[in-house]
Amino acid sequence: MEQKKNWQSFGELNKSEAYNKEVENEFKEDLPMVEDHSGLLNAKAPRRDFLKFLGFSTAAAAVAASCEMPIKKAIPFANRPEDIVPGNANYYATTYVQDGDVVSVIAKVRDGRPIKLEGNDLSPITGGGTSARVQASVLDLYDTARLRFPTIAGKEATFEAIDSAIGGELNSNAVIVTSTITSPSTKAVIAQFLAKYPGSKHVTYDAVSYSGMILANEASYGKRALPSYHFEKAKAIVSLSADFLGTWLSPVEFARQYAAGKKIDEKNPAMSKHIHFETVASMTGSNADEKYLCRPSEMGAIALGILNAVKGKEITGVDEKLKSAISAAAHALIANQGAALVVAGSNDVNVQILVNAINDAVGANGTTINFGVAANYRQGIDSEFAALVDDMNAGKVNAVLFHGANPVYTWPAADKLKSGLAKVKTTISFSGKLDETTAVCKFVIPDHHFLESWGDAEPITGHISFIQPTISPLFKTRAFQDSLLKWSGASADYLAFLKSFWSAKLGGEAGWNKAIQDGVINPSLANVAGASVNGAAVANAIAAVSAKKPSTKIELALYQKVGIGSGQGASNPWLQELPDPVTRATWDNYIIVSPAMAKTLLNIDLNNPGQADAYEVQPPKKVVRLTSGKTVIELPVLIIPGTHPNTIGIALGYGRTEAIGKAVVGTGKNAFPLSSFNGQTVVLDNADIKLELTGETYPVALTQTHFRYDTTQGNRTEIMKELTLAEYKHSPKEIIEERANEYRGQIMGGEKMSDEEVVANFAKDATIYPVYDRPGIKWGMSVDLNSCNGCGACVVACNAENNVSIVGKPEVLRGHEMHWLRIDKYYSGDLENPNVVFQPLMCQHCDNAPCENVCPVAATNHSSEGLNQMTYNRCIGTRYCANNCPFKVRRFNWADYSGADSFPDNQEGIVNDVVLNMSDDLTRMVLNPDVTVRSRGVIEKCSFCVQRLQAAKLDAKKDSRPMVDSDIKVACQQACPTNAINFGNANDKHSAITKVRVENPNRSFYVLEQLHVLPNVTYLAKVRNAEEHAEKAEAAHKA
Amino acid sequence: MHLKYESQLREPLVYGNKTYAQVTEDIVRPIEAKPSRLWYIGFFIAVTLLMFGAYSVYREVTYGIGQWNLNKTIGWGWDITNFVWWVGIGHAGTLISAVLLLFRQGWRTGVNRAAEAMTIFAVMCAGQFPIFHMGRVWMAFFVMPYPNSRGPLWVNFNSPLLWDVFAISTYFTVSLLFWYSGLIPDFATVRDRAFTKLRKKLYGIASFGWTGSTKHWQRHESLSLVLAGLSTPLVLSVHTIVSFDFATSVIPGWHTTIFPPYFVAGAIFSGFAMVQSLLIIVRKVFGLEDYITIGHIDLMNKVIVLTGSIVGIAYLTELFMGWYSQNKYEGYTFWYSRAYLFSPYGWSYWGMMACNVLSPQIFWSRKMRRNVFVTFFMSIIVNIGMWFERFVIIVTSLYRDYLPSSWSVYYSPTIWEIGFYVGTFGLFFTCFFLFAKYFPVIAVAEIKYVLKRSGESFKPGMEKIEAQELESFVHDQAHAH
Repeated sequence: MEQKKNWQSFGELNKSEAYNKEVENEFKEDLPMVEDHSGLLNAKAPRRDFLKFLGFSTAAAAVAASCEMPIKKAIPFANRPEDIVPGNANYYATTYVQDGDVVSVIAKVRDGRPIKLEGNDLSPITGGGTSARVQASVLDLYDTARLRFPTIAGKEATFEAIDSAIGGELNSNAVIVTSTITSPSTKAVIAQFLAKYPGSKHVTYDAVSYSGMILANEASYGKRALPSYHFEKAKAIVSLSADFLGTWLSPVEFARQYAAGKKIDEKNPAMSKHIHFETVASMTGSNADEKYLCRPSEMGAIALGILNAVKGKEITGVDEKLKSAISAAAHALIANQGAALVVAGSNDVNVQILVNAINDAVGANGTTINFGVAANYRQGIDSEFAALVDDMNAGKVNAVLFHGANPVYTWPAADKLKSGLAKVKTTISFSGKLDETTAVCKFVIPDHHFLESWGDAEPITGHISFIQPTISPLFKTRAFQDSLLKWSGASADYLAFLKSFWSAKLGGEAGWNKAIQDGVINPSLANVAGASVNGAAVANAIAAVSAKKPSTKIELALYQKVGIGSGQGASNPWLQELPDPVTRATWDNYIIVSPAMAKTLLNIDLNNPGQADAYEVQPPKKVVRLTSGKTVIELPVLIIPGTHPNTIGIALGYGRTEAIGKAVVGTGKNAFPLSSFNGQTVVLDNADIKLELTGETYPVALTQTHFRYDTTQGNRTEIMKELTLAEYKHSPKEIIEERANEYRGQIMGGEKMSDEEVVANFAKDATIYPVYDRPGIKWGMSVDLNSCNGCGACVVACNAENNVSIVGKPEVLRGHEMHWLRIDKYYSGDLENPNVVFQPLMCQHCDNAPCENVCPVAATNHSSEGLNQMTYNRCIGTRYCANNCPFKVRRFNWADYSGADSFPDNQEGIVNDVVLNMSDDLTRMVLNPDVTVRSRGVIEKCSFCVQRLQAAKLDAKKDSRPMVDSDIKVACQQACPTNAINFGNANDKHSAITKVRVENPNRSFYVLEQLHVLPNVTYLAKVRNAEEHAEKAEAAHKA
Repeated sequence: MHLKYESQLREPLVYGNKTYAQVTEDIVRPIEAKPSRLWYIGFFIAVTLLMFGAYSVYREVTYGIGQWNLNKTIGWGWDITNFVWWVGIGHAGTLISAVLLLFRQGWRTGVNRAAEAMTIFAVMCAGQFPIFHMGRVWMAFFVMPYPNSRGPLWVNFNSPLLWDVFAISTYFTVSLLFWYSGLIPDFATVRDRAFTKLRKKLYGIASFGWTGSTKHWQRHESLSLVLAGLSTPLVLSVHTIVSFDFATSVIPGWHTTIFPPYFVAGAIFSGFAMVQSLLIIVRKVFGLEDYITIGHIDLMNKVIVLTGSIVGIAYLTELFMGWYSQNKYEGYTFWYSRAYLFSPYGWSYWGMMACNVLSPQIFWSRKMRRNVFVTFFMSIIVNIGMWFERFVIIVTSLYRDYLPSSWSVYYSPTIWEIGFYVGTFGLFFTCFFLFAKYFPVIAVAEIKYVLKRSGESFKPGMEKIEAQELESFVHDQAHAH
């Protein structure tokens, strides 16, 4: 029978050309790919690729379709916005600014949401480095505690209402109190405002101030400013307890510079020498080559001692121990004349003048310190603010405008400030959150988050970094500058102001666009200038310092933590859960004491293994009551070696108001009342304290505990390798020898092999199984322990990139933290003043992984590229893999931390509010859509940022070229300010990772190599440029 | 099946001048009578515990494993400790019924039924832990290797946990069959005595139409022998495979070749202790002292002192190897984490040593072996000790393994973790109470089998045989019928 033909139109019947064309173009819309399709179609095997794409999309659709998770609010665009391709990220250069901290960053924006910040490589200051606080700041954007609208006396108001109310109140004698402003345009805006209201002024107030330095520079050099520093040019660095790698001035910049002096060329090993005078164990001190303990009150004497020693005079006023330390420091400085640098954390003008004098004597000016280019990181002068407080109390101030400063929380005499504020008629706060100062202000006009703002910053004179918005303001907020412009009567808004401000300087629109695109403008040549010290000022300082009697009592040193700072990080759960580099504690502050003081104060002897164990394994720590004048605070005590026996430390920034976020609830106590204002500067030391044991305990959530682990059968040397520069120079093959001796016995005939042969053949010869080639890509990582300073930027970057859950304090207490990457801390040497080494540890992606073969359902397996992969939706949660992991890097979802569970919304009362808040719709906007949010009951771990690897491979494939190393940076590597982490294809002979491994054969080691799990992460041993050990090594080898 | 000859020196296996009818009456009567008050109280307590366990498990499944205090370092704690403990207990039954059957140990007849029941219930309890220790128990079927619609997803045959799945399910199945096949003639006896219709019907179904014909008996005996043959290797294999969960790993304290024999010995040790605990109660409550005699208790105590000592040697060997291997990790685990009394878990190691190695040595004394109270007390001590053994192996190995940075804070269980354990006691005793009420707790048919050779009243007849010349004995036997 003839086939009957059905037709719907004449066109179809006749197969007309027009009809055929129409059929072909029935679904006319292009695929959402911006790129040239020709690359894809001209690729070597387009048909195969097509089939692969088809296969992948079918599989993906099948997986997606079979997934039962409810999709909330997935509303497609009616019209696709320009430049937004679903699934593709856009990157915008902007700048992280918090107080005086400035870091140029690139914001990764997915579907209109900024989700990750990466360092901007174009900035010569940070060179693409970031800090934990920078990485965490993106979470602040989505903070549910942000103020959502302006208020007058606590009631919601419109901007118009506020402007008219303030317009009526503002007339004269207004004071703008800000934290350090590095923005030239904002300063211009402020100047306009001040001009409009007579008698007004701008007071810069820094919570942790550097007034002492600024005033000292004025006295010494006649310059009321900070110089720019060049740690990279210093061969000898002496730090008088300045935490310049963690919190001092511009740590990202200094860490990068410092690391340059610590990178070792194996063929010609040399490194800078860092001598640190430590009061309370700090991150910077932990990285020092030599570390000496002293009291805060001895700083002046030490500075004077060093000054005398470098000038060849006698050292007086200190004990014998310190005397030798001072002469060692002076020796190193003199030996490196012209490449030496002394920095001091003290806020005492006299100490800083002496430091200036030392720097002058060792030729630092014009080499490692440049007064020709001022740094603008901190500009606050404490006495100006103190005068303002007096003025307020005297009723001389009509209006106060707070921006970035929170003195009600941070000022030592907060009560006096509050009573003064009560006398001020108009109080205005621009804070984005209801912080302590904002709570007592009448008008609150929340400012944008920096990711919603326009702006600029000039951290170092001549270096401009621009801020551009990456998202429309989420709430009814307004830029601080816009408010000021409005009240100054200007017609232009801040964007127009900023644009005209810079366009003029940058040569019009094109220059402006280029600057915004790059994010930075760098000066062509650095202006280097020396300076000479004012002798009279030094003489006065010497007299003042010599007059001070050293204290014999217990002293308190207040310090800042890397994450929390002076309280800015307190409401950020990522930072609260970031373990402090020194104490490994989260979510709290506490009193740090030395092991020696623990014996007398707490009756705990760390040399007694039973007592040490009991102290370490039980989270509740003894609580001590600290009394200083009228201030009484009770805090738990942690015993931290490397602290002076008569000094205790407390971190600032805790005990914040609960209005700024759920993360601060129940975290620590405010230590600012323990500081004082001495008439000139704020002093963060306190020698007038009394300690008494309360008999109570308080649990502190530590992520690492410490024990002795050397046994009579040997020390665990293959975990962490550390040696001194002298030892290394004397016997460069020492580590290879150690490695070979560790497992020579595991190789048949190993006793006849040389050390190098043993190391080279271990992978294939120490097994009875056949060894397979691993062609193609083989991902590998290398971590240089010499560069790593333990700052934790990588940990927070990993949180952000991989949607790693926050678990809250109660869960950390139970050892449930989820960090994929942790920074382990090891001590060696003396208990009172040990050496400290930091070791970032993530999944080692073992080629012979013990976790893989124990999983009953094969949920974790090995990729052909050397990745140890975790298949979340296969995992049934037996935790066997975690047990069998020698590195203990696998993390289990003990509860529904992410709101991704099959039993939704049942975690109230199970996990705390901070964790629940992380599943809030607003907070969840920070999640990276490329990474699965893990549900309860599955194991997770470091994936080597597999989503980035896949993206890089696809990009290379679309371009029909082989993938190269520069295509990829994993999140931790990207965040690291010191480039301690290298990553890439170890099979590629030209890759950076291969280069690191080839160039550093003598320092490379694998952790727990002898287990033959064959990790893919190499570590480069820590080398310390320590004198004492050098002599010992010499002696040992001679003997 | 049994030796015709039994030394006169051996004490009778059944006391009292029992006849076949009396044996039936003694054992089957409790099934027909109303349960005592004591039974009701016990059953109520057991069900209460079971309910509490069920609620604990409910919490764990709905809210997450975080309901327990395990952590990033200690991935297994009470859950797997309890699992291994129950599996160990489940060893005595099969050993008694299968291995002793093959070795022709007549004394097993008095205790095998209850011991086998105990085995089955213990394995049921044990099974709960590997199932509910999973983070996503609703995906537990992933461990079943069957052709599925989940794509190319297959189980991982390299994993000892998968071996566990097979080992335990096989063991359970074979034990159940063995137990049930032994029950068939006894069910028929109950059926034949039944005076209610319902009981006649139910026991009729349960006895599979047993008539007691010679053919039936012959098949029954053959089946018993075959199942005994199948079970015997299982007694050794199950705990061997459970020990592989640890032995094949890389964790110091787990990675030990001594584990299989050491675990099997420990399992028999704890199994016999549990049999003692239960039977001492059962013989008292049901008045079965004539069938479960002091002689039985004595014999089982001998097994306890033997296996306890084997376990002790294993402990000492581990300690010795911890030193002799000169492996710093093993050395630390065995000599510090475990054997150092003042280390955080030192108490658990010495608790284990005291309970498992030192205290059973009391049974070298015949007087102590035959003392019911001492035996009962010791059986409890041994099971506490064996629980500690598993806890020591699991927790003290995990909490301080290779990297000191990941060493754990002190682990103590939550109420729900304890609740799960308590709940399995509820399950065990609920089952056991039902068993004691509805099943003949002693194998009636098998007792009858040994009655005429080893019954107290028949023993004197042995004197004559013993005095006989060999030729006349053979002649007599040849012409017996």
